[in-house]
Amino acid sequence: MRPPIPYRIREQQLWLSADRCIFWEEAKSLIVSDLHFGKTGHFRKSGIAVPQTVYKEDLQRLINQIQYFQPEQLIIVGDLFHSRHNKELELFNKWRKNFPKLTIQLIKGNHDILHDDWYSAADIVLSNEDLQVRNFHFVHDIALTMKSNLQGRNGSGKSNYSFSGHIHPGIRIDGAGKQTLCFPCFYFGKNYAVLPAFSRFTGVVLIEPLKGENVFAIVEGSIFQLQ
Amino acid sequence: MKVEDTFGYRVIYDWLNGKKLRPFKFQVETWEHILNGNSGLVNAPTGCGKTFSVFLGTLIDFINRHEDNFRKKTRNNLQLLWITPLRALAKDIGRAMEEVIDELHMGWKVGIRNGDTELSERQKQSRQMPEVLIITPESLHLLLAQKNNNEIFQSLRWIAVDEWHELLGSKRGVQVELAISRIIRLQGPAGNKIASIWGISATIGNLDQAMETLLSPLVTDLSNSSGFGKIVKAKIDKPIEIESVFPDEIEKYPWAGHLGIKLIDKVIPIIEQSRTTLIFINTRGMSERWYQEILNVCPDLAGLIALHHGSVDAELRIWVEEALHSGKLKAVVCTASLDLGVDFRPVETVIQVGSPKGVARFLQRAGRSGHQPGQVSKIYFLPTHSLELVEAAALKTAMKLNFIESREPMVLCFDVLIQYLSTRAIGGGFFPDEIFEEVKSTHCYREMTKDEWNEILYFISAGGAALQQYDEFKKVEIINGLYVINSRRIAMRHRLHIGTIVSDAMMKVKFMSGGYIGVIEEYFVSRLQPGDVFTLAGRNLEFVMIKDMTAIVRKSNSKKSKVPSWNGGRMPLSSNLGLMLRKKFNEAPLTLEQGIAPMDVPDIELRKLQPLFLLQHQLSHIPNENELLIEQIETKDGFHLFVYPFEGRLVHEAMAALLAFRISLVRPITFSFAMNDYGFELLSDQPIPVDDSNVYELFSQDNLTQDIQRSVNSAEMARRKFRDIAVIGGLIFQGYPGEYKKARHLQSSASLLFNVFSEYDPHNLLLRQAYNEVMDQQMEEARLRGMLDRIQRSKIVIRFLDKLTPFCFPIKVDSMREELSSEKLEDRVKRMQLQLSR
Repeated sequence: MRPPIPYRIREQQLWLSADRCIFWEEAKSLIVSDLHFGKTGHFRKSGIAVPQTVYKEDLQRLINQIQYFQPEQLIIVGDLFHSRHNKELELFNKWRKNFPKLTIQLIKGNHDILHDDWYSAADIVLSNEDLQVRNFHFVHDIALTMKSNLQGRNGSGKSNYSFSGHIHPGIRIDGAGKQTLCFPCFYFGKNYAVLPAFSRFTGVVLIEPLKGENVFAIVEGSIFQLQ
Repeated sequence: MKVEDTFGYRVIYDWLNGKKLRPFKFQVETWEHILNGNSGLVNAPTGCGKTFSVFLGTLIDFINRHEDNFRKKTRNNLQLLWITPLRALAKDIGRAMEEVIDELHMGWKVGIRNGDTELSERQKQSRQMPEVLIITPESLHLLLAQKNNNEIFQSLRWIAVDEWHELLGSKRGVQVELAISRIIRLQGPAGNKIASIWGISATIGNLDQAMETLLSPLVTDLSNSSGFGKIVKAKIDKPIEIESVFPDEIEKYPWAGHLGIKLIDKVIPIIEQSRTTLIFINTRGMSERWYQEILNVCPDLAGLIALHHGSVDAELRIWVEEALHSGKLKAVVCTASLDLGVDFRPVETVIQVGSPKGVARFLQRAGRSGHQPGQVSKIYFLPTHSLELVEAAALKTAMKLNFIESREPMVLCFDVLIQYLSTRAIGGGFFPDEIFEEVKSTHCYREMTKDEWNEILYFISAGGAALQQYDEFKKVEIINGLYVINSRRIAMRHRLHIGTIVSDAMMKVKFMSGGYIGVIEEYFVSRLQPGDVFTLAGRNLEFVMIKDMTAIVRKSNSKKSKVPSWNGGRMPLSSNLGLMLRKKFNEAPLTLEQGIAPMDVPDIELRKLQPLFLLQHQLSHIPNENELLIEQIETKDGFHLFVYPFEGRLVHEAMAALLAFRISLVRPITFSFAMNDYGFELLSDQPIPVDDSNVYELFSQDNLTQDIQRSVNSAEMARRKFRDIAVIGGLIFQGYPGEYKKARHLQSSASLLFNVFSEYDPHNLLLRQAYNEVMDQQMEEARLRGMLDRIQRSKIVIRFLDKLTPFCFPIKVDSMREELSSEKLEDRVKRMQLQLSR
């Protein structure tokens, strides 16, 4: 594993990992998004024979990140699970028991449709809309939040920096000779950040960042700052 | 038995006589074979009574066996299964058959079964099968998915496969092979066949192979299969006249493009002069544009012209076809959607816009006109860019020589087999050992190994080879050795899926406000960015987003728009037409160098193109048949290398990847490449090290297979092949019609699945198939080898250009691009960034 890349925002120290997560040093928190656990199981249950290995490897990567950064809490900005319950989630439960001291905060994403009891049984703290930790704010889909806050806040939430997921951001790089490449990426705008999807069983949606915004592409196990 | 001596023949002969008709010789020949229980293939163009050659034969046979009561005998159960590739054909053929039956006062019924058939009609058929069932390959498979399907086929005596040349070489043809293998085995053990099989095909280069493929399940002794089956050829000569549509000033006609709309003023008089005109356009998007433009230029035609293509609503299409029959329409702008089918007698003229890509296709389209006896088939060729005129000259020569393409049957299509086994698992289940023999009796799966077979069984019953934990994979269950699908939900989803083999992944297009516009290739949509403008149904639409497998758009007033053109672009130039083209360039320079007056050049197209040839000659070189031209130039885009083998887009794509790979062995370099049917381009940000010293080596046949495999891997051709395979193999679920919610959380793209399989299950059967398809169909390895061999024996001419030439310009401006790199990804990103910041 390559060492993570340091990134400062609002006087906080972040570490960006090529394994698609962010460690927030001051709060000893690991931030991840869009894990889509159980997606392979959901597909297989419906007769679509995708290999389960991709899910197991996602889980293993998360373990590696937790062992590396030793966070006190895991903040998941939505889509921890892909769909309804299936047996693959037992693998998650087994894993969960190995980290009893780790707090897991989940901001519900559109895919998180399990019963609330299920989350509490797995010792996951649920937030339906958003979560505030110190001076950072966490939501699943920033576009939805901005829409609903448009009238209410009107710029007053300027001091609040948000972390979000949902869109599975990707960035395209164009070179001479009409070459193009496309990678999953971290996006840091003026008031909010979007994390790449943690699961590798996900596609990307291309974003078009503005000047002054920061984008980090994930290229085969290492991170490149593009702007 | 001589057919003329039989009672049935007299009945049919008298009936024909009453209409002042005589049977054609090939019809009588076919009837006799049918009477004698033979199987075979009828080779006849459309409009020459090919339907009757088989259908009347079955009637004669039936009448002979029921001399006393053939008129009264009803409820005979299924006698004749008539497989046809197009729904639209079914109605017309059914009508023609019913007419005969009525006039003979017989009690046979004709039923139609396809996606348009009403449920009540289908239920009626289930209670009492009609004697004749006209069916598409997909609906036939749906029939095999019914629990009681084996009863249906017990009485069957004849299977006719119409337009077999169209089905052959496609996965729908494989569906036909599988269905026939099933029906034959249902009727009893090998050697005890009841039903005979008749294919009906237009002329193709490999008629023997076409027949052998179709009849494969009948052949019990493979070592002694020669001479099995009869080919009956109709010797009917119908003259075809080809005329090119020329721009007034060839110098001002564009060098690139695929629309040809600039020549619309030449089209209007052609439409006005003839009774009905069919205008063939290569893609749906462009046909939309043409339709609109014709109305703009000639508003008088409103109501007299119509549009017909695969994305047009089915009801409207049927209306257009009816109106064509009755001669109500002056012109129809259409795509390959009207390639097949019964003839529209009022059609006097055909216009082909752009390259038809092959000799066979062009002849077939030409044959759609002039059906009155003694009439000439008239076809106009309208070039979409100037160089394309050479194709018209090449087509004329190819037609004279009857130089018609072959259709290669597909082999080892595991995706279709997976779909078929699931179908059988719904239709009562199967025992692997029994069905294995059936499947092996087809041409497609003849070479399948036991290992591959076991892998497929494992894939559908256990979800693949990898060991899974906490797994709930569920599709085909094994109950006492019987492979069966019991889940109603999975069964229903599979039934909906069977039809998807036909089409590319299509996406609905809707307005944000909800109005439905039409459908469009998913592939095209996937390349759109929000805000991009494209044209569909004659409207300019701005792409907003994809939601629930639907492309959401809003109206746009933008003047610039993209035309969805992928489908037509995918059809490559045939090798026959390519060969003819190269020969035509032989004739071109004569007019320039040897001072022969242009009038001495036999082809008017080449004479008209003289200014263009002159320019090409001055800027670069015109290659003759024994030369390969390579052009190099530096522009602001980078360093370009153009090569012109005239072998069609797909072979060029392979060749480009191969050449790029071989050059990249010299030093790390990244290419993007582009191609059209005439040549291909490598483009790099560094100078491309190709010159006299190494050029023959770069086109060598040595290590070809390895080099191809290594270059394909990088260029991701397999990824594109995997799209169709994933859909057919049931990995991608396209949703219930109008009921997207239930497919929730099951959406994924083929590209994503391709990544997942490549990384986590690289030996997956379907993934392997994608690579094989790339080798066999896309790369056309045999054709590629032939080309390299030719190049080794020819003179390679390298020119360094100051200006773009008429040859290279079309490749540079409009083409699809691929990439190949020997650099490390990280290095590329760094360098690309550097270039951007400069």
